[in-house]
Amino acid sequence: MSLIDAEIGRKYKIVSISGGFLSKGRLLRLGVTPGSIIELKRAAPLSGPLMINVNGSDIVIGRGVAKKVVIEEIV
Amino acid sequence: MKQIRIALIGQPNCGKSTLFNQIAGYRSLTANFPGATVTYIKGKTYIGNDLVEIVDLPGTYSLSWYDDAEKEAVKALFSMDIDVIVNIVDASTLIRSIEMTLELMCLGKPMVMALNMMDEAERKGIIIDTKKLSDALGIKVVPIIAKKGKGVKELLQTLKNASPPTKECIYSEEIESKIENLEQCIGENIKDKNWPVKMMAIKSIEGFKPISDMIENTPCRDELIKARKSLDNGNEIEKERHALCMDIFEDTSKLKKIRTKNSEEKIDSILMHPVLGYLVMFVLFLGVFYIVFQGGTPVENIFIDIFDKIDAFLVSAIPNKLVFSITKGAVDGIGAAIGIALPYLVPFLFIISFFEDVGYLPRVAYLMDSVLHKMGVHGTSVISFVVGYGCSVPAVMATRILKSKKEKIIAAFLASLVPCSARSTVIMGLVGYFLGYMYVIPLYMFNLVVIVISGMILKRLLPGISPEMVLDIPPYRIPSLKTVILKTWLKIKDFVYVAVPLLVAGSVLLAVISYYHLDDYINMAFEPLLSGVLGLPAAVGVVLIFGVFRKELTLLMLYQALGLSSAALVNTVMSTQQMLVFTIFVMFYIPCVATIAVLKREVGLKYSLYITIGTFVLAVILSYFVKIIISII
Repeated sequence: MSLIDAEIGRKYKIVSISGGFLSKGRLLRLGVTPGSIIELKRAAPLSGPLMINVNGSDIVIGRGVAKKVVIEEIV
Repeated sequence: MKQIRIALIGQPNCGKSTLFNQIAGYRSLTANFPGATVTYIKGKTYIGNDLVEIVDLPGTYSLSWYDDAEKEAVKALFSMDIDVIVNIVDASTLIRSIEMTLELMCLGKPMVMALNMMDEAERKGIIIDTKKLSDALGIKVVPIIAKKGKGVKELLQTLKNASPPTKECIYSEEIESKIENLEQCIGENIKDKNWPVKMMAIKSIEGFKPISDMIENTPCRDELIKARKSLDNGNEIEKERHALCMDIFEDTSKLKKIRTKNSEEKIDSILMHPVLGYLVMFVLFLGVFYIVFQGGTPVENIFIDIFDKIDAFLVSAIPNKLVFSITKGAVDGIGAAIGIALPYLVPFLFIISFFEDVGYLPRVAYLMDSVLHKMGVHGTSVISFVVGYGCSVPAVMATRILKSKKEKIIAAFLASLVPCSARSTVIMGLVGYFLGYMYVIPLYMFNLVVIVISGMILKRLLPGISPEMVLDIPPYRIPSLKTVILKTWLKIKDFVYVAVPLLVAGSVLLAVISYYHLDDYINMAFEPLLSGVLGLPAAVGVVLIFGVFRKELTLLMLYQALGLSSAALVNTVMSTQQMLVFTIFVMFYIPCVATIAVLKREVGLKYSLYITIGTFVLAVILSYFVKIIISII
């Protein structure tokens, strides 16, 4: 599943970030890296961006980018 | 003895400016740089008896720059002959900060880490053993709390004896063997005094364009392709580096569980709420405009009085008419600059800087992203629009933090359509005064709608992609007054250095035009359009030309050009329809010369011309449209 399918308030593990795109480097630098645990905190209305928490920092990610972040549920 | 030069470098929101202010507060001499593209600040201070120079570089997440502002930071770091690097790290985001620390260490310069916001990290439950961290990294680490000035003295002492990192940048044998050939080839073929060879190899494998472009036309190209393939386009390197950072973090820090949910969550749940968030934002910004304009008008009147007195003095002091006109033009130009800057621009930009430092603007970017995305820009450009209501010059400058060229052009164009405080004085003075606020509010709404639609059209028209937002949301922080003042000054600076000289020059030119009575020719040239199509009095031609130099002049010039003795009589010669058509035209047409100058700097000559022509065409179409609508009603 990808980050846009995540549920608000739940935690997930990042599996991979697919493709090479402009903001990938920035994502990695902000700690959104494969293996890290994230929590989806909120989503802006009208298909606005998502806000996630990773390592205690809040990061806002546009939906197009979020689509490329592959996550899995934590069991 | 050579003066030591120290660079402060760190990620955005790490408290760099606060530290700079603290250091520069120690018997300092700060100086700002009006340079064309440079946005860093230098200061001088004493460490013991030695005078050192301190450079505050723009925040950056990595040496692989992402936008133009970050590029400045890296370029300055390379070009300025830095003796000591101070890497400021927000302790509460240590994990992701270590990566840049490692990058900086690879430059091999004397370096110290200033571990800032130790108190905030502790509140978040992160306890860092700075001694261990220092050993793990091989550089000195000084814990500080910049806002309270804690640890700053120790930091300065450590700086004096800073040494290069004791550890080297070495990856695992597997990775080292795969980049070896490329490294060797780069070392033999490319001479670059800034980037260490190994870093060039790694950055090019990771696809950092400025570096891979340097390699493109050299024999190393094949090695690069090979290395990329074997290292999964650099993902392998990234993975290893990240693992290393995690290891360093885990070895040197302890995480404590914190029981209470912090108040930040509560504030966010209101300010970022899908309904309440927008409501609060709307009320906040409306409040800001109300305060700035209500509070600014009496202050502006004081300046108008002062400059009227100076003008009266000039009449008696300078007998030669031409010399008088030119002098008066120059003085009026300065008067206009002060009359706009002090009452409106300074308080407005101060509040915006405060919003920025408190952490509110990134949240506005989150709220506005979906709307802005439809206009081809993303949430980050919200700052351009907001600042645009103060002055278009810093608004266009703010597009520097945008990544793609397309986005920059759209944001710059739209920002120049936002009525700045000078245009607002015209709107308030004409429509507000004669027709009332019930007309003013719809005008601003109309302006917003036009901006949104123009953005949507441009998004489809312009080639290129509109990248998406990836934005760090900093915690709420109460900024120090000094930091906010510094930030305000950085924004005002653009106005002072770019706009003021052009205001004065424009003013002088206008004085010459009226001295030689060139107005009639101008009016004649524009008559077919202005009177013929838009139904305005022919005399407004020259007014609008003047407006290109100084927007706020349009109102003043209007009553003079119409042959009236005071602005209060405008409604005797202009109908409601004419006033509205005129105001719409002024709202949109051609950015002022100062804005055109910064447009050229940010988006290039070609696009600045397109934007200028575009706004003119838009103004004609919209004011004609309004004329038709009004005559139907």
